[in-house]
Amino acid sequence: MKPVWACTLAVSLLAAGCATERTRLVFTGDPIVDGRNAIQSGPPRDRVMWEDRMVAAAMRRGLFDDAKVWLDEVLPRIGGIIANDSDAKKARGLFHAESKKSFIGEPYERVMAYYYRGVLYWRDGELDNARACFRSAQFQDADTENKTYAADYVLLDYLDGFCTAKLGADGSDCFKRAQGNAKTSVPPPYYPKANVMVFLEFGHGPLKFATGEYAQELRFRPGAVSARSVLLRLGPQSFPLVAYDDLYFQATTRGGRAVDHILANKAVFKKTTDIVGDAAMISGLALASTGDHNEAAAIVGGLGLLTKIVSAATVATADVREWDNLPQYLSFAALELPPGTHELFVDFLDGSGRTLVTKKATFTIVDPKKDTVVFVSEMNN
Amino acid sequence: MKTNLILKSVGLCGAAASLALLGGCATGVQNPSGTPVTEMRADEKGFVQGTGVESQDLVRVADKMARGILSCRQIANATTPPRVVLDPVVNDTRFPIRKDIFLQRIQDQLISQSQGKVIFLARERMAALEKERQLKQAGQVTSSSDPNVQEFKGADFFLTGKLSGMSSATAGGISDYILYSFQLIDVRTSEIVWGGSEEIKKQGVADAVYR
Repeated sequence: MKPVWACTLAVSLLAAGCATERTRLVFTGDPIVDGRNAIQSGPPRDRVMWEDRMVAAAMRRGLFDDAKVWLDEVLPRIGGIIANDSDAKKARGLFHAESKKSFIGEPYERVMAYYYRGVLYWRDGELDNARACFRSAQFQDADTENKTYAADYVLLDYLDGFCTAKLGADGSDCFKRAQGNAKTSVPPPYYPKANVMVFLEFGHGPLKFATGEYAQELRFRPGAVSARSVLLRLGPQSFPLVAYDDLYFQATTRGGRAVDHILANKAVFKKTTDIVGDAAMISGLALASTGDHNEAAAIVGGLGLLTKIVSAATVATADVREWDNLPQYLSFAALELPPGTHELFVDFLDGSGRTLVTKKATFTIVDPKKDTVVFVSEMNN
Repeated sequence: MKTNLILKSVGLCGAAASLALLGGCATGVQNPSGTPVTEMRADEKGFVQGTGVESQDLVRVADKMARGILSCRQIANATTPPRVVLDPVVNDTRFPIRKDIFLQRIQDQLISQSQGKVIFLARERMAALEKERQLKQAGQVTSSSDPNVQEFKGADFFLTGKLSGMSSATAGGISDYILYSFQLIDVRTSEIVWGGSEEIKKQGVADAVYR
């Protein structure tokens, strides 16, 4: 008996001692600072999430070269086929959470990575690569549970066709798709002579949370209430715009995921083993209380304990890691302006038309034949 | 005896519990030592793969196009080496790519294999070349010939191409088809004197946790 106890004690001590001391990350609230720290010291499986957050902040601060670098690291990871991955396999297993897998984001998050990269390619004058990004973005939304909502971003098709028109080809198919998918407002016909592309984003994007008995169900809630429309002011002219796309709508209409079934099965297993464990332990106690079946009581009770341990070790939690500084709404405007310096004022309006914040974008057009890209966000970070 | 059995069972349960804890306590760090850098051939598939354009595709396509151009009658039977300018490839796929790399590789293959049968013009360097000529004309640098004589060559052909794609995504997986097509265009007549293409289709299914 002594060797059994000795082994048990030794293994227990090992288990207690092997818990790794993780570096505790201190967050400043600045996505770029926090992201750099997290990438250096945090788990590698969260890298894409942090780079995504850094990209959004960089776009809003005009750090477009930094945003490009991070996006060019993110896109190969989210655009590849992840198969035969050991972390993904563990995430499917009973004893690891879904968040064990490397983060690549839900479809609406992957869409935004491609969207931002498309904006940057356009800014660099590479319209065909910008178009490729808008197509890849739309592609991320292609596999929805309800096919009504598959690839239904208005702006992505619209920008795909606009790039095609500017490249001298026919973008009408894309325009028709964009018109067909439009919900709140229909984008205007293409004006290939436009040389100022204004990309706008406002509102606060969807936030994830887990629900269910074992937090196995992924759900979304809308971000903080904020701007609902914008007003562009350029000199004496003003252009009211509403959103073409709503990321909360996209997040909630994507439908179920294959991993939801895995998590549901884990939850069932967890509950079942918990119930069986309780029953076995109660039976063991009952047997022990008779005084005549101590051996059987020990075995049944022991099995019950083991089953309870397995149940406790089963993790069915859904992955709620998220790109938490996304906007809710996307909009766009194309203008034709002469060479020179221009000041564009963007008023972000709430639901009743009241101005929440005004941003100013100053830009200079040197060659009117080359497109100038202006990116304006309601958010600062 | 019965007491011993009870104690033994509890002990075994404890051992099993500890093992379960230990199993869950593993650091879970994949490949903690990393993988040393290894050099690969450009036409070799790496362990990082997607359904888009990759280096082995570039090598395969460029090699095929170079062989096709060299067998083109206007190139093979030309009495003087024709001069070719690279016109940017158009990307009509869903993959953002470095487009110039395709033509660059085809150009490099042709230069090395054609034994002077094709001459490429460095139009992307024109700004620097014109500046050098201006310096010579102004007498600021020496010149081995008369810098006022127009010696920049005109092109006989444009070499250009287009990448077109078709993609689909379902619960069953993702597939991407890309058609790489290239053309040699007579600058004087706009005739397409040579055309070549290569098509590559790839598919894959992601792990269930990503679907």
